[in-house]
Amino acid sequence: MIPAPPLVAVVDDDESVRESLPDLLRQFGYAVRAFSSAEEFLASDDLARTDCLLLDVAMPGMTGPDLQRELTRRRQQIPVVFITAHRDRIIRRRLLELGAVDCLFKPFSEGALRVAVEAAIRGEVAASLLLPAGTY
Amino acid sequence: MTERVIPRKEVLIESSVPGGGVPPASMDELRRQIRERETRVRVRTRELERKTRELLAANRDLERAIAERKRAGDRLRRSEALLAEAQRLSSTGTFSWNVATDEITWSEQLYRIYELEVGMPVTVERIRSRVHPEDVSLIEKMRRAAREQRGDAGFEWQYRLLMPDRSIKYLHAVAHPTRDRDGRLEYIAVVQDVTERRLAEEALDKSRSELARVARASSLGVLTASIAHEVNQPLSGIVTNASTCLRMLAADPPDVDGARETALRMIRDGRRAADVIARLRALFGKEDAVTESVDLNSAVREVIALVASELWRNRVVVRTELADDLGPVTGDRIQLQQVILNLIRNASDAMCGVEDRPRQLALRTDRVAGDRVRLSVQDAGVGLDPESSRRLFEAFYTTKRGGMGIGLSVSRSIIEGHRGDLCATPNDGPGATFSFSIPCGSRA
Repeated sequence: MIPAPPLVAVVDDDESVRESLPDLLRQFGYAVRAFSSAEEFLASDDLARTDCLLLDVAMPGMTGPDLQRELTRRRQQIPVVFITAHRDRIIRRRLLELGAVDCLFKPFSEGALRVAVEAAIRGEVAASLLLPAGTY
Repeated sequence: MTERVIPRKEVLIESSVPGGGVPPASMDELRRQIRERETRVRVRTRELERKTRELLAANRDLERAIAERKRAGDRLRRSEALLAEAQRLSSTGTFSWNVATDEITWSEQLYRIYELEVGMPVTVERIRSRVHPEDVSLIEKMRRAAREQRGDAGFEWQYRLLMPDRSIKYLHAVAHPTRDRDGRLEYIAVVQDVTERRLAEEALDKSRSELARVARASSLGVLTASIAHEVNQPLSGIVTNASTCLRMLAADPPDVDGARETALRMIRDGRRAADVIARLRALFGKEDAVTESVDLNSAVREVIALVASELWRNRVVVRTELADDLGPVTGDRIQLQQVILNLIRNASDAMCGVEDRPRQLALRTDRVAGDRVRLSVQDAGVGLDPESSRRLFEAFYTTKRGGMGIGLSVSRSIIEGHRGDLCATPNDGPGATFSFSIPCGSRA
């Protein structure tokens, strides 16, 4: 029996991201679910099965970092890769220090996405802290 | 008995009447004479009393006058003391200058401002020895203008003193022409030491421009970040879709329907990015420029008032020659003033290293052929080399340290928006002249 592919959850309020990113991730071979808000993801049954969370930083209502804190509070250990259109290295650094696997600046390359998601699923933490930010 | 008494009386009366004349013929006659003399004495006495009263009154008037005079003297001394104190407190001195005799009289406070011994004779040389070397020519100019003065217009000027300890004093002077007793031209002037005020203003100006710079930089930073965010969102979609599309096409067999779907999404996201740019253009574009009737002369005067202290600080002397028959132009007053401000600042910056000649800035307006109005800004600065002449109006080209290279390219686009043109020409002497001309008629 073929093992089920890892499940990647995409949480972003931007519709074009929810449309495009799952398609590319499926091309990589992952199972994907997309959510338009942090609240929607928290309420879903997929929460416990998610292997990697691709999480937008700035969203109306609960923000990406808010969701990350909430997951920590609930002891849900889901590796998080942040994605943001706001290129701010200070924020990136803080997110990595708070335990994110990576923080990608939109638009990010296919390669950078793949490396980050694979690292998250393998359970590596914050490997890219060692790399200078923005070298994608 | 009676017989004996009478002669004695006669003798007595005779002796009491000086130059007494004919002896009285009878007792009656004698009594009459006595009464007459008594009357005379009474009259004389009354006269004397009257005179005495008059003298006393005159004396009292005199005493009053003396007292009044003393009080007037006191008042004068007091008001002189008050004036001196007022001059000291307000750091204001006064002087008079008789143009014909070149005789100059200073108040005590003016000696103190110049830090010269009170009472020493004031000569032009002595004044010049204190005036800042860079302002000597200004003082000479003022003196010449004052000599040639016709009519009763006054003068107002600002200059600096360079004290022996190398400190600088800023003075503000106002002079009014008058005539002396012989009808010769004389100036009465007040000179105020405005050093403290000037330094405070400079500090204020400096922090104000620093604040403006920080505000500009931070708002520019915030603006850039939000533009970047808005554009990065659709770009992100395009990049992701393009990756997906390539993978779908590279699959065996290729997923053509999927690739078509992602390509359509790319087109949509590309349009979205273009929309963001269009919104930005609407926000910063010229669509909402105000069209009104603008008097270029008053626009120029307002800008000069705005930068007067900045120019003064840069020791720039402004001369304006504004044509009376200019007529209004149609356009956006604020935009035109931004251009004027920019040209004045450039002229001032171009002269900031000039020490061997006056930093003269001339602003002229006139009518030119084709029903156009022209403004020119002439400086005595570093001038234009061929390389900068060619690139002057390019965006982000600058010859100034700390310059953004935005001013002239924005100025040119504003002037072109008014169907005019902006150009730069080197002067015959040092410096350059920037001028724009715009049509008087209505704006397209």
